[in-house]
Amino acid sequence: MPTPFIMPKFDMDQEQATIVSWLKREGDPVRQDEPVLVVETDKVAIDVPAPVSGRLARLAYKEGDVVPVTTVIAFILGDGESLDSLPGVPGLPPRDGVLPKAGLPLASVATPLARRMADALGVDVGRVPTRNGRVTKADVERFRQVALPADGKTAATPAARRLARERGVDLQSLTGTGPHGRVQAGDVAGMQPAVPSGAARPGRAVPLVGLRRTIAERMQASFQQAPHIALTVDADVTALEDTRRGMNAVAAEDDTPRVSLTALLVRLTAWALERHPYLNASFQGDVIYLFEDINIGVATAIPNGLIVPVIHGANRLSVGAISREMHALTQKAHQGRLELQDVRDGTFTISNLGMFGVRQFRAVINPPESAILAVGAVVRKPVVINDRDDVAVRPILSLTLSADHRVLDGVLAADFLGELVKAIEAPGIPAAEDLRLTGEADPRRQT
Amino acid sequence: MRVTTSKNTEQKGHKSSLPEEAVPLGLGRDQLVEMFRTMCLIRRFERAADQLYAMGKVHGTMHLSAGQEAVAVGLGRAMRTDDYLVNHHRGHGHFIAKGADLRRMMAEFLGKDAGYCRGRGGSMHIADFEANNLGANGIVGGGIPITVGVGLALQMQRREQIVVGIFGDGASNEGVFHEAMNMAALWRLPVLFVCENNHYGMSMGVERATAKLPIAQRADAYGIPGWCIDGNDLLLVYETMRRAISHARSGEGPVLVETLTYRYFGHSKSDRNLYRTPEEIRAWKDKDPLDLFRCRAVAGGLLTSVEAEAIDQQTQAVIDEAVAFAEASSDPDLSSLTEFVYA
Amino acid sequence: MPEMTYAEAIRSALRDEMTRDPRVFLLGEDIGRYGGAFGVTFGLLDEFGPERVRETPISEATIVGAALGASLLDMRPVAEIMFMDFILLTLDQLVNQAAKARFMFGGKATVPMVIRMAGGSGTGAAAQHSQSLESLLAHIPGLKVVMPSTPADAKGLLVSAIRDPNPVCFIEHKLLYKTKGHVPDGEITIPLGTAEVKRSGKDVTVVAGSIMLPRSLAAAERLTQSGIEVEVIDPRTLRPLDVNTIVGSVRKTGRLLVVHEACRTGGWAGEVIACVTDSEAFAYLDAPPRRLAGADIPIPYNRHLERAAVPQTEDIEREILALVHAQI
Repeated sequence: MPTPFIMPKFDMDQEQATIVSWLKREGDPVRQDEPVLVVETDKVAIDVPAPVSGRLARLAYKEGDVVPVTTVIAFILGDGESLDSLPGVPGLPPRDGVLPKAGLPLASVATPLARRMADALGVDVGRVPTRNGRVTKADVERFRQVALPADGKTAATPAARRLARERGVDLQSLTGTGPHGRVQAGDVAGMQPAVPSGAARPGRAVPLVGLRRTIAERMQASFQQAPHIALTVDADVTALEDTRRGMNAVAAEDDTPRVSLTALLVRLTAWALERHPYLNASFQGDVIYLFEDINIGVATAIPNGLIVPVIHGANRLSVGAISREMHALTQKAHQGRLELQDVRDGTFTISNLGMFGVRQFRAVINPPESAILAVGAVVRKPVVINDRDDVAVRPILSLTLSADHRVLDGVLAADFLGELVKAIEAPGIPAAEDLRLTGEADPRRQT
Repeated sequence: MRVTTSKNTEQKGHKSSLPEEAVPLGLGRDQLVEMFRTMCLIRRFERAADQLYAMGKVHGTMHLSAGQEAVAVGLGRAMRTDDYLVNHHRGHGHFIAKGADLRRMMAEFLGKDAGYCRGRGGSMHIADFEANNLGANGIVGGGIPITVGVGLALQMQRREQIVVGIFGDGASNEGVFHEAMNMAALWRLPVLFVCENNHYGMSMGVERATAKLPIAQRADAYGIPGWCIDGNDLLLVYETMRRAISHARSGEGPVLVETLTYRYFGHSKSDRNLYRTPEEIRAWKDKDPLDLFRCRAVAGGLLTSVEAEAIDQQTQAVIDEAVAFAEASSDPDLSSLTEFVYA
Repeated sequence: MPEMTYAEAIRSALRDEMTRDPRVFLLGEDIGRYGGAFGVTFGLLDEFGPERVRETPISEATIVGAALGASLLDMRPVAEIMFMDFILLTLDQLVNQAAKARFMFGGKATVPMVIRMAGGSGTGAAAQHSQSLESLLAHIPGLKVVMPSTPADAKGLLVSAIRDPNPVCFIEHKLLYKTKGHVPDGEITIPLGTAEVKRSGKDVTVVAGSIMLPRSLAAAERLTQSGIEVEVIDPRTLRPLDVNTIVGSVRKTGRLLVVHEACRTGGWAGEVIACVTDSEAFAYLDAPPRRLAGADIPIPYNRHLERAAVPQTEDIEREILALVHAQI
């Protein structure tokens, strides 16, 4: 009988191990106690020896796979034994039980059901925010409810519908807390604030509804889970403003939307992120996931709260394309017509409160990202412009980066900021074609 | 208790003439003529109902009792007008014999609001509570337990009336027949059970349905009098019913009277008489109760043939008036659909 | 206010009405010296004599038929059918005759009769002596169906039933006979067709009658510790049903649970729920209206199976929790 080769348990509390490399291949002869593969557990890489001598057969997992301990990972055939005498897939757990490869977002843990549902909905389970580090079906449903569902129908109780109708609330903008994401009356009305009778202080209770509630929960989770570090720099935007004026002169002639400072910053930030991948990443429990794409979200104020439409592939778009995209998304946001694809897959967020005169502020990271850039107002200030201590009045922009200390340290953050400031102050540094006004939009984007 | 059976008494078997027989029964010429007239009325009424049905004017079905008039009239005459009646579905004759308004009967057949039951019951459920006629029953034997209850109330109320519960030979095989006989006997209720044995329960001949005949002998099992008589002999019916009612009214307890008779029409309007032969029907028509009585009346000098004929013809006018009234009446208003369910 | 058992309360109603109205009389099996299978009529024979406490042979169909016949002549019979299961023997007289007499005779007949019957499981009486058949009866136009849960309700409703000019099915539960409660002195009548809010609450409406009423109250009491306030409504009469009280409650709470011992399929909970969803309360429902009912099986003999076949307090509690926490 072929001997099953199981993934051994090395530590008392070890639940799984990642296969780093197979030292032997299928069909190779192995000797008892000879190392056959190398695995990695939480702490360290370990050689796994063959339990008996024979020929290695039916390798069930490959490099990178994360395998629960005691799972059969291969068989060792004795003389005259063949694969035919192997029982059909014994001991192999159902596919659902296999944890995904290392390198894929684990989101700490996602239940098999959540995974299946996410696949069915076209949602990347790694993007799904979770309250307690474990993505459940409810989390996936909730995530999906953030934007309008495609068929326009919302599961809601009769009471929720009535309240929504009475209060002029769009049901579809709400996140349902009932089974299967059903919108309950409480989601529309919020909890009744427990005001002890006779002890109420003057004021008005505003129910925590829908989007506001979602934001509250996400911001709290972000702030609590990610240790935020904040770094502030000032950038001289004289050159950038010049560039922008020039672009807008052209835009005016072409009757295209004006390019905002934020649009330019999106492009420059994207350039900087290309060079600093740890700012374009996500903390995923066991791994730090470095996103391949650079999708920059621009925080946009809407009635009831905040939404973050995303410019996908910002590093491949011209400023003009970015600007047009931003205009379209802002419009959609204000009309409540943002779709799921408009808000998903962000890798970095920019928040600009400069138009309100705020000089400098610290933003809360937008999970599951690892950094956010807070942009203040452009303020004309006297600054020292050369090493002769000459002073001149220049337009100065304050930028504050909040970063997830689990992902990167101050130095990395500082590096990034420094590079960004350099790009801002000397926009020619990025290659000329990077800073295009015109050029085709990314063919992937359909507008 | 004595059980007498006198089946199919031949006409020739009568020892005395009609008037002679009637005198000890307290029946003078007027009463006898009235009884004859009522039998004619019933016969013509049933014919008229049949015709109405044939013309498509009657919704549903009817159970006609032509051929059984002597039972109805003999019994009806023997009852006091305030005695109670619990009728069965072949009950037009009993209803008429108890003094019903034919116009309201016809109106009920046609489902009109002016009918006895406001068009809600039809032929099978005719009732006239003011006349102590507690309604006809569509369930075979369904009225028998009710009869017991009426008798119980009469007894508890210390009243003089009795209740007559009429049912057919088929019903005597229902379980409740036995329950009711037992209970009525046990409590000595003022009940007359009348079993109109017209020899068929729908298509089932009584010999095939009943293990031991006559049905009247079942009374013995419950310790009460049971008499089986020729139901087509009007005076015999009258005499027997008088005795039975007197017994019941006296507090001596219930009585069971079985009347042997025959129906000419089928069980109901959907009956195509597949289960009996034309010969059989003809044989019974030879013993037609109306013919029997008319012959005796003429022979006894009570009536001339011409007079008898005239009486018969005159009843037609009553029938025609009833039909005209019914046809002119209106249906119940749809808005009253849900009335009369609860008091 | 004196305290008495459910059985005593029923006896008290019978006694009071028989004293007040000479037309009222009892008929049924073993109701005399024996006092009735559940002791309800004990002592009444001595008080009122054998004519008015009339023992019958074992003839259920004619017991009901006789009650009908007597009531047509203005008597006020109260018939006892020993076990609700036996009502099936009387269905022709009850459904084809009594329920329809008034209607098919065009409003001329009046049938002021009461049929008392003992239903329900929990005594190990097995399949043919433990049924809850009120759903069948409540389906019949012309009948009224009453199902009290407390001694006070039993008395007040029976008095009203006896005085009602219609045929009334008065359904008692075997397990309730010995339960005690306060019954007001003097003449009490509770109108048929009125439900009672036995417990006020804002979080969920529970409609429960007969034996399920005390179980629901017990569940509600436990749930206050979890901060859940349950409103418990006792329908008291199943036909005619007091829909308004139930609708008003569901409008307030947004959640409805109907509990009965009768089998789930075709049980009267379906009727209650349909009435509610067909009302203004629909737009206030924040969860699907639910029913908790007996299993769709005959009642088993084994005590554990018997217990598991019908809703118990903990089942009610669990259902309420699931409803309130939007798990349903």
